[in-house]
Amino acid sequence: MSKGILTLSLLFLFIIQANAQLGVMKLVGNNTENYQLGFGAFIKAGVPVSDAGDVTLEIGVNFFPSKDAGEGTAMCPLKAGYRYTLNGTGEGFYVEPQVGYNIYGVTSLLDNNGDNVDLKYHGVVLAAGGGYLFSIGNVPIDINLRYETVVAHGGSNNMVSLGITKSFSFGRRDQGD
Amino acid sequence: MRFYVIALSMAIFLSSCLKQSIPDAMLGKNSGGQGKVTATLSYTINGNAVSISVNDADNQITNPYYTLGCSKYGGYYSLDGISNSGETAFSFYTDSLAVGNYKYLGTYGDMFFIDYYNTAEYAHAPSDSMSFNITSYNNGHISGNFSGVLTPLITASTINNIFGDPGSVLITNGSFTNVPVFY
Repeated sequence: MSKGILTLSLLFLFIIQANAQLGVMKLVGNNTENYQLGFGAFIKAGVPVSDAGDVTLEIGVNFFPSKDAGEGTAMCPLKAGYRYTLNGTGEGFYVEPQVGYNIYGVTSLLDNNGDNVDLKYHGVVLAAGGGYLFSIGNVPIDINLRYETVVAHGGSNNMVSLGITKSFSFGRRDQGD
Repeated sequence: MRFYVIALSMAIFLSSCLKQSIPDAMLGKNSGGQGKVTATLSYTINGNAVSISVNDADNQITNPYYTLGCSKYGGYYSLDGISNSGETAFSFYTDSLAVGNYKYLGTYGDMFFIDYYNTAEYAHAPSDSMSFNITSYNNGHISGNFSGVLTPLITASTINNIFGDPGSVLITNGSFTNVPVFY
């Protein structure tokens, strides 16, 4: 396995240790049949800007192992978004568009000699999704589904992601409005 | 707010219309969106024509061998073609294939290039050579031309090969187009 994927795997473990959030995801599109179900770890925080909306910032690591041993794809997107709850309370169903930058991406392949070939890229990240925000006790929970695409080198890696997360929020909404 | 959601949704939709994944785009697979590509290789060997043509060359059968392609190995790329008359091979000794001239001289040591109806043609004599020009390398496909002077191997032996007349095999009018480069 390449150094790049190893590095991102270590970052993945670090993010998990940082009490981060987890998701499962699937690459979709041409020539993605060879990839297994992927998994990701990400830290996401929101700052309330209105009763209904939060500005969110998210960094994560997504890893997609290949069915072929020693191959796979990993990405590290940093995204900013706007989470808008439909009922205007800051909880319940929400929609969230996101834009960002893929800080590091690598696809590891094996050439005809079995030697590792790392294809490294960055690229623009676009995502849109929705979910449901609720609380269990004082713990805010976020169940979310989103579609995400990373665009680089004239191609795109597209994925669908399902996550259940404990969300972090900085700042408070005004109560009793 | 609604405007931004619609704008972002459109951006995602349009970006998803890109037909290649990022790795495929970086490797130049799928012909850069050009559809099926026909790869060809042709030349004359002492005036006799040899020709190879492969439709949809990016998706040709590779087991046990592909018909025409160029593969990356450790430290070199190997262009290989199979025709009714036999095999044609040329190695580009580089870690990163690029447009340019690649030449093999007989003084470097014996090197096989062509099997023509069961006669192997080598760069063997000091005056022998094979010269390949890659004139374009786009979307994972190479095109160019080549020529050479070779010596036939008459009898293969574990101790000493017996070669024919030095420089008696002329390779002329060599050209190749849209040969896929495989990783």
